[in-house]
Amino acid sequence: MTTVALGTPRTGLGMSLQRQYALIGALLIAPTLLIFVLVIGYPFVYAVYLSFFSIYTPTLKGEWVGTDNYRVLLTSGEFWASFATTTVWTVGTLTLQIVFGVAMALVLNLNFYFRSLARSLVLFPYFVSTVVAVLVWRWIFNDVYGILNLALVVSGLSERPLDWLGSMPNAMVSIILVGAWKYFPFVVIAVLSRLQTIPNELYEAARIDGAGPWSRFWDITLPQLGDVLVVVVLLRTIWDFKEFDLIYLLTGGGPVTSTETLPLLVYNQAFGMNAMGRASTYAIGIMLVLLTFMILYLNRMRRQRSATS
Amino acid sequence: MNRPSPWKRPLVSLIVWSMVLVVVFPLMWMILTSVKPQTELFRIPPSFWPREITLEHYFTLFTDTPFLKYLSNSVIIAVSTTILVIVVAVPGAYSLTRFAYPGRERLAILVLFTYLLPSVVLVLPLYLAMVKAGIANSLLSLVIAYTTFALPYALWFLRSFMASMPEELEWAALVDGASRMGAFVDVVLPETLPGIISTALFTFILAWNEYFYALVLVNTDEARPVTTGVITMLVSSFNIEWSLLMAAAVAMSVPLIIIFVFLQGYLVKGFAATGVKG
Repeated sequence: MTTVALGTPRTGLGMSLQRQYALIGALLIAPTLLIFVLVIGYPFVYAVYLSFFSIYTPTLKGEWVGTDNYRVLLTSGEFWASFATTTVWTVGTLTLQIVFGVAMALVLNLNFYFRSLARSLVLFPYFVSTVVAVLVWRWIFNDVYGILNLALVVSGLSERPLDWLGSMPNAMVSIILVGAWKYFPFVVIAVLSRLQTIPNELYEAARIDGAGPWSRFWDITLPQLGDVLVVVVLLRTIWDFKEFDLIYLLTGGGPVTSTETLPLLVYNQAFGMNAMGRASTYAIGIMLVLLTFMILYLNRMRRQRSATS
Repeated sequence: MNRPSPWKRPLVSLIVWSMVLVVVFPLMWMILTSVKPQTELFRIPPSFWPREITLEHYFTLFTDTPFLKYLSNSVIIAVSTTILVIVVAVPGAYSLTRFAYPGRERLAILVLFTYLLPSVVLVLPLYLAMVKAGIANSLLSLVIAYTTFALPYALWFLRSFMASMPEELEWAALVDGASRMGAFVDVVLPETLPGIISTALFTFILAWNEYFYALVLVNTDEARPVTTGVITMLVSSFNIEWSLLMAAAVAMSVPLIIIFVFLQGYLVKGFAATGVKG
């Protein structure tokens, strides 16, 4: 790595300079380390510790129950039902994010009027707070006065207004759609910046060979996007799987528990059922599930860095 | 085939812009609703464009509700988090990119791991610790909680920036007799400034938009930020006043709109520098 070279003195001043540099490096990282230990390391260990307790939330009193919570996690079915719900949500919304995101990036890469304005407008859903997004969508979904139901009824597509958030499968479809709307700009930015680096000669050559737009997309664009799409899918899987705000604020997990994904289950266990220890166990469960994706991503980043430097 | 038709560009523009309008429609609808008189919302059929533009909802929002208090809480929390995180992360990231010491690589991996760690894992122990320390329900508790995701994020972000910077200038300064810290202050900091600004903007947006920790850690209006505050307004109202809520949604998005309009270059540059580049 080139970075090591800077730490090694070239001037031949001996070990003292190298040691001095290492000391400066350690001093610069010290505040970071301190904060990490205090606000991340300690709570993290504490979370694992809590998962072996039964704790009543209002009094915060508890007792050691060993691996009981983990036995419940594995056998009660509650965790796994929620796991299935989370998987449906994640796969559904992520698929739409990728499809819309790639499509939008492709058209935003074309030559049209006010292109940079269009590019920045499309990013808005991603940067706006989930609270704002949810407020707007709940107003759009409103059963009596919402514009969506009015449009459906007036256009004759539906005879009566639909219950978008209070019945199944509508509630799941709605959260998946809003999730896709909120997060697809992430895919757009990543894909768009990659598209701009694909050498034009590839397309020229294909055109000379008589390839149409469709085969140019399949044979050139998509393979070139492969790497960036893998990274995007890994990151978005992690982020969608742990999504709380959007689902909690749109449906609250309902109707009943039809859209209760794992993060909502943790919250409801801790503050609805007052079982903080079990909630902590479920949270650890989420982390273990996501660990696979985290490790895949970490490996990828490491490989990428050793390839570029 | 070789000469593009003169209709191509207008046609493409029409198609792309209709797609863009579909995407931004909810946000336009939010703004339109916020300036309509309440009666226009419940007219059948409702008006699309407001027949009459009113700012009464914004007036009500700032005078009759605790919104202003929420807003100022959010400003304090987001600004403090950003300052704290930048002050700590800039030297930290520099150390992770340019210094050699044992454990450095492992530390970098740990930063990335914590960046991806779900906040649902940390929220319960943080809640317990803050109740015990007697700082639950305070602005400070949220600054601490937001640091748990903002600091790993800023470190990772800044590290990518610094790693992509050429080392030659630093070298030249060192050869000219500057100390490591001198080179850091005189060469590295000015060079990294665009990256620092991007990181600060993103950190601010993350803290400004945060909802989950605020929901768990704070339940008094005294310390409530605008995200949970507006939802409290929604839940506690008997008759939901949608135009008032839309005005609140617009008002709490103003900082983002300002960042977008004036500092958009930093956002896009910042985005390209993070892990998502191919």
